[in-house]
Amino acid sequence: MKNRLKVLRAERDWTQAQLADALDVSRQTVNAIETGKFDPSLPLAFRAARLFGMRIEEIFHDPTQDKDRSSLSTEVKKDTFV
Amino acid sequence: MNQVKPPGSGYQSRIRANVIRLFRWNGAWVAATALMAFGPKYLWNRALVFTLLAIGLDVAVGVGMVLANKNYLAELDELQRKVQLNSMGITLGVAVVAGAPFSMMDAYHVIPFHANIAYLLILMSLTFAVSNLYGTRLYR
Repeated sequence: MKNRLKVLRAERDWTQAQLADALDVSRQTVNAIETGKFDPSLPLAFRAARLFGMRIEEIFHDPTQDKDRSSLSTEVKKDTFV
Repeated sequence: MNQVKPPGSGYQSRIRANVIRLFRWNGAWVAATALMAFGPKYLWNRALVFTLLAIGLDVAVGVGMVLANKNYLAELDELQRKVQLNSMGITLGVAVVAGAPFSMMDAYHVIPFHANIAYLLILMSLTFAVSNLYGTRLYR
């Protein structure tokens, strides 16, 4: 799962340790999420969304969903021209 | 630049306090186990009452250590808990897989010594340490 955690953190000039403390997790966990090595649980994703004042899907997104969506639109186009 | 700090939760200090508590319970358990193992021979000349008291103390401190470990796990965040549980799973598996043949080797005199439980405890400790280190490095 891809996310914008690092960008959002940098925009606020927060360190990983500060973000970790705010999310009630370890710095290692923030680093693992930022680098895409670990996907957070739904409660943790909600905490991050609340902290940044955004919706979950504005911070986290599933790349496979984009692929599904593009293949779906291709299918729709095919159907349109048939 | 005027940095606005996010609200803190005190996670690190909470975990530090739990680690210290767990370390103390572990130390107490090791001391109680040593008392139970060596006390009858070196301290009270195998007096049954003292031996039973030492066994009771060891079990009581052991229960305290297990509860401290449970609290420690409950306070960890989801990634650290995952690493710990993976390590515990691997340790349990290795103990079962290695323990049964080790016991059989003793029963059929394949090994020239007794399959002492201490060997299994050492193997479990080393397995847990290695798998925990691996898990921690994996997500670094």
